[in-house]
Amino acid sequence: MNSTAILEVRDLVIRYRARGLFAPRSRPAVNGASFTLAERETLGIVGESGSGKTSLLRAILRLIPVESGSVRLEGQDWLALKGDTLRLTRQRIGVVAQNPYLSLSPRLTIAEILSEPLLAQGERGGPAMRKKIAALLSDCGLPADFMERRARELSGGQAQRVAIARALALEPKLMILDEPTSALDVSVQAQILNLLADLKESRGLSMLFVTHNLKVVAHLSDSLLVMRRGDIVEFGATEQVVREPRHDYTRELLSFGLIGARE
Amino acid sequence: MPLLEVRNLSVTIPTPEGDVHAVRAINLEIEKGEIHGVIGESGCGKTMTGMTLLGLAPKGARIVADSLHFDGEDLSKNAERLRGRRIGLISQDPAAALNPVLSIARQMDDVLRAHRNMSRQARRAEASSLLAATGLPDPQRVLKSYPHQLSGGMQQRVVIAQALATGADFLIADEPTTALDVSVGAQVLALLRKLVSDRGLTVLMITHDMDVIAEACDRVTVLYAGLSVEVGPVGEILQQPGHPYTQALLAALPDAAPHGARLAAIEGSIPPPRSGIEGCAFAPRCPKAMPVCARQVPPKRLAEAHRWLCHLPASAP
Repeated sequence: MNSTAILEVRDLVIRYRARGLFAPRSRPAVNGASFTLAERETLGIVGESGSGKTSLLRAILRLIPVESGSVRLEGQDWLALKGDTLRLTRQRIGVVAQNPYLSLSPRLTIAEILSEPLLAQGERGGPAMRKKIAALLSDCGLPADFMERRARELSGGQAQRVAIARALALEPKLMILDEPTSALDVSVQAQILNLLADLKESRGLSMLFVTHNLKVVAHLSDSLLVMRRGDIVEFGATEQVVREPRHDYTRELLSFGLIGARE
Repeated sequence: MPLLEVRNLSVTIPTPEGDVHAVRAINLEIEKGEIHGVIGESGCGKTMTGMTLLGLAPKGARIVADSLHFDGEDLSKNAERLRGRRIGLISQDPAAALNPVLSIARQMDDVLRAHRNMSRQARRAEASSLLAATGLPDPQRVLKSYPHQLSGGMQQRVVIAQALATGADFLIADEPTTALDVSVGAQVLALLRKLVSDRGLTVLMITHDMDVIAEACDRVTVLYAGLSVEVGPVGEILQQPGHPYTQALLAALPDAAPHGARLAAIEGSIPPPRSGIEGCAFAPRCPKAMPVCARQVPPKRLAEAHRWLCHLPASAP
């Protein structure tokens, strides 16, 4: 633990509007979340469906409004940014979703998919861009001749590597990974987790890793945050949370399957 | 005699581009009253095996086996008759298994009417008691509900109750917890275990998740590229896997590595389903491969109660 925070979330409340004019206010989807993510660190966010982890992510991506609270990205008031400043600042965040076959357009070639973020930020197409794309692919463990293929011609692991390469195209500092290995086989999951660890090291990335699989994220995160029904029930250094979970729910997640059976 | 005996099953699907070897040579022996896990990665043939046992292999598929018997009956002839009478299916996505526009009461009743000779009143009581047996706290309320009003875990319990309603005593559970949250999945697995001991059910658990195997199964068969490569009691296989593929699969899990350390990924990919296999199917990816592995089909190895196929002798795990 050192250095400055890349992401600072304070007392964040997210509430979806209840139906009907006189309906009582609904329960908040995220109920006062506070946490920090230090630079070059990985924070794992664990929770089941309805725990609020997706709402939290969406708010950090500024896809939904928040009711109250603040989010600071590299010290800047991230929720206050507007227009062009917002668009430019968004480059600092890269996103990888769960299912690469849904997040990659089936009509475009891999080269087109990877050039899209660059073109959107005003870069010119041409040989220089192709070189950049080839470098991105090779950083993610794929050969350059993948450029002319389409997502459906790739295996799940290869497609997820393309999705990671696209997220890296604008050289973000923060990567948001939403269940990035949940659709993959165990042996491929190991490859992708290794790749993410390498990229974090070589590019100095910070990561928010969201998953329902506590054991995957416990392996690679520096700190862990466990959510349940909108509340943060656990937040601390990974090793400490795994060693001394404070909440029954965390204990339940930790004891499921192999580790529990081995002891 | 085992309840289910599958010897040397192959399922080949002819396509214009050539034959797809979905299942190459799978052996399964499942004893009455056990939960038998079948684990493997995408494309290993686990779901196709389950579908074949249900008589649901795709049209035109060539099914060949030395033996394909359920409780003494030949499944290659009788699968369709046994399906829904003795053999039930619990699929991955309960929302897709239930009809969204019919109430649970109606859907339970449809099953009971088709399979049991009961009065209307008796069917209603039976539906309620089956739902209670799957641990649903308020069966009457569930009966009045529609699928979208139930959580994923509750839906999966309804699907299990439906499978029980047919009177089936052998359930094929194809990734029954994959679509559920970990804690809910654990409850569904505990329910299956309870049903096995209370009602003498037998379960074939198809999964890609070693945690599910560890949590719920008595014995496990490991599949690779359409072949069964290892079988034995779960405890033994988790502690001392014999086949290098099983070893690699266990080593690739985040549980196996110290915090933050690199995971032991398996390099390469499975053999394409259209190509033939010479020697050992895992040889091209095996860190311990020897020249003989590429040429000859590996022999059977034995250690305690588990068996696997490998050229390496059993003493060198």
